[in-house]
Amino acid sequence: MTTISDIGAPLPGPAPTTVPGETRGDHRGSMIPTWGMVTTRLMELRKRRGLMVALIAVNIGIPVVILAVRLIGHAVDPKSYGPAGGYSIFTTLVLGFMYVFGFIVAAVVGCTAGSDDLSDGMFRHLVITGRSRLALYLARIPAGLAIVIAMVAIGYTIVCAVCVFAAPTQFSYDGVIVPQGLSRPALDNWVAAHADEVICNFNYNGPSVPPNVPCGNGNGPAGPNSVVRTPQGTVVPVHPTQAQIRAFAVTMANQNYADYRATFLVPSTSLMIDVGLWIALEATIGFTVGLGLSSLMGQRTVPVILLVVLELILTPIFSRNVISHLVNVERGIVGVAMLHIEPGHLWALFSGGGPGGGGPGGLMLIPESTLAASLVIVGWLVFWTAIGAWRMMTRDA
Amino acid sequence: MTMATVEDRSREADGPWAVETHDLTKRFGDTIAVNDVELLVPRGCAFGYLGPNGAGKTTLIRVLLGLTHADAGTMSLLGHAVPRHRDRALARVGAIVDEPRFHRHLTGRQNLQILAAAREPAAKGRIEPALERVGLLHRADDKVSKYSMGMRQRLGVAACLLGDPQLLVLDEPMNGLDPAGMLDMRDMIKSLVSEGRTVVLSSHLLDEVERTCDAVAIVDRGTVIRQGPISQLLGGSSFEVQVECSDPDGAGRLLGGTAFGAHVQVGPDGLAVSLPEGTGRDAIAEINRVLVEGGISVYRLQHIQASLEDWFLSVTSRLGAPE
Repeated sequence: MTTISDIGAPLPGPAPTTVPGETRGDHRGSMIPTWGMVTTRLMELRKRRGLMVALIAVNIGIPVVILAVRLIGHAVDPKSYGPAGGYSIFTTLVLGFMYVFGFIVAAVVGCTAGSDDLSDGMFRHLVITGRSRLALYLARIPAGLAIVIAMVAIGYTIVCAVCVFAAPTQFSYDGVIVPQGLSRPALDNWVAAHADEVICNFNYNGPSVPPNVPCGNGNGPAGPNSVVRTPQGTVVPVHPTQAQIRAFAVTMANQNYADYRATFLVPSTSLMIDVGLWIALEATIGFTVGLGLSSLMGQRTVPVILLVVLELILTPIFSRNVISHLVNVERGIVGVAMLHIEPGHLWALFSGGGPGGGGPGGLMLIPESTLAASLVIVGWLVFWTAIGAWRMMTRDA
Repeated sequence: MTMATVEDRSREADGPWAVETHDLTKRFGDTIAVNDVELLVPRGCAFGYLGPNGAGKTTLIRVLLGLTHADAGTMSLLGHAVPRHRDRALARVGAIVDEPRFHRHLTGRQNLQILAAAREPAAKGRIEPALERVGLLHRADDKVSKYSMGMRQRLGVAACLLGDPQLLVLDEPMNGLDPAGMLDMRDMIKSLVSEGRTVVLSSHLLDEVERTCDAVAIVDRGTVIRQGPISQLLGGSSFEVQVECSDPDGAGRLLGGTAFGAHVQVGPDGLAVSLPEGTGRDAIAEINRVLVEGGISVYRLQHIQASLEDWFLSVTSRLGAPE
């Protein structure tokens, strides 16, 4: 066998282009990613056309199309089609659509960011640069969030603008034009003066039988054969006095007062800011969890499916159904925790079908304190970031 | 401080060997892919790392570059212990491991921008020269999905050059290249070496290695079995002397009575005398003397050195035999 000495002395070597310590100066071993790493990572994600189309469609395209159709409909036939904006369309669009699907698209971006280097064979090139693997991982977070949050912000701003500037001029609660922002006594007075309208239109969920009043045809007081259907479905003829009608209308108004107070002609500035931050947080969670999970699994497809299942199936189930021996697990689901910090207890259409926070008449969320919910959210962000980073640092390239 | 002083200090800091491993071992379960490897790669040369398929060539490279961990042993690149000073070691290393793959939806230039961003700030300024050097400047703004295998190989070399490397590790760089591309790659490797860089070339294309490299290591079943300068390795191996003469049969009879008798083969145009390892050049003169004194006219004597391929096959076939 040839021995080491056979090789002889090193051949004349290169004239090094660096002096000792230069590489130490570029902080290559530091866990902090450079600005250039973040911007090039941003470019890499931005150039994925399919991903960007999906992101723009969900966060901007679909809300814009819905609002555009409503604007056109209202402009063409204002009597048949209500105003495009307003409070109700705001809650429906933002919470029913942007919140849920924003999470899913953010998760897809995260899963892509976490797995594309591996699937495209670039991970090896990057590791060979000598750059800290942790820095390589952390560079993906600001880059991905810059895209996700920017898209959410653009779409949300458009929705807010339309909802404010194309809002109804009169405040409608359960189909009744009601003055906005009344105190409870003032509402009682107003309701007493519009008792028939209130009884015909307001939601009622109570043991008493509503008085028999004419609804919808303007024929005046009910005759002896008029009937009313109770929530239990029985048919009961009632012949109330005007005082009884007013008293019952006030009872109904009181039952609906909390919901009335939380309903507005247009979303308030503070509510829009809160909700904006809330859906941005939801998108951040989607991205971070997607990034960590895909880094852990080394692929994109399965993590995306898992996160869709989490958001569309598990979260709605666990947020509304208390399973006694799993209640702490249910509380630990990030979607449940997010519903607990939902601004203004708004209607989360795709998150369980009832007013969040257990509003009147709605389905109740499983009990969880705001502190616990906040800790769950922080825990998810930290855990998935750590697990993704750990896998990135230990994975064979 | 003069430039010479800076260079001296740098050399001292970087160490005398480009690659140095001792007892390096890597296992995958019960399989030992790299087995107590002792490897010394001199600086400033083209070094071939040869072995049959599955010998552990790529695994050793992956261990050296920190792509996977070693189970035992020590190693250093450019004098920096790895993995402890991996960042400093790899700062001046460029490598292609296996088939070079990139983000297919990005252009060649954009892929290099990503890699340059992970290196020192000066790397960004090396993108254009690197593309020009590998002959990809005119296609730099095409998406990688439109690149041929050979173009991706070139892009891989360009990626290596971003760090102004003192050491390049190229794993099967000729794969996918057409003959012209192989010639270009060979020239490029030579030019890199002429600039004082060290190139480690892992390949099973023995002819290419012989043409390109100054020294080689042979690896088989995870173990380095030979290493050294090619000329030195081949110089100690067997060789053949071809003799063209007036009477081949008579020459065969004459040589049959000498120490060369067991190694003589007679053909229609002359003789072929195989000489074992360690035989000196005097043996050729002795053959000539025997034939001339025997009255045979010698028209030509040719010393045929075994090629790297012959030598490689003889070495690895011996080791490949059942133990």
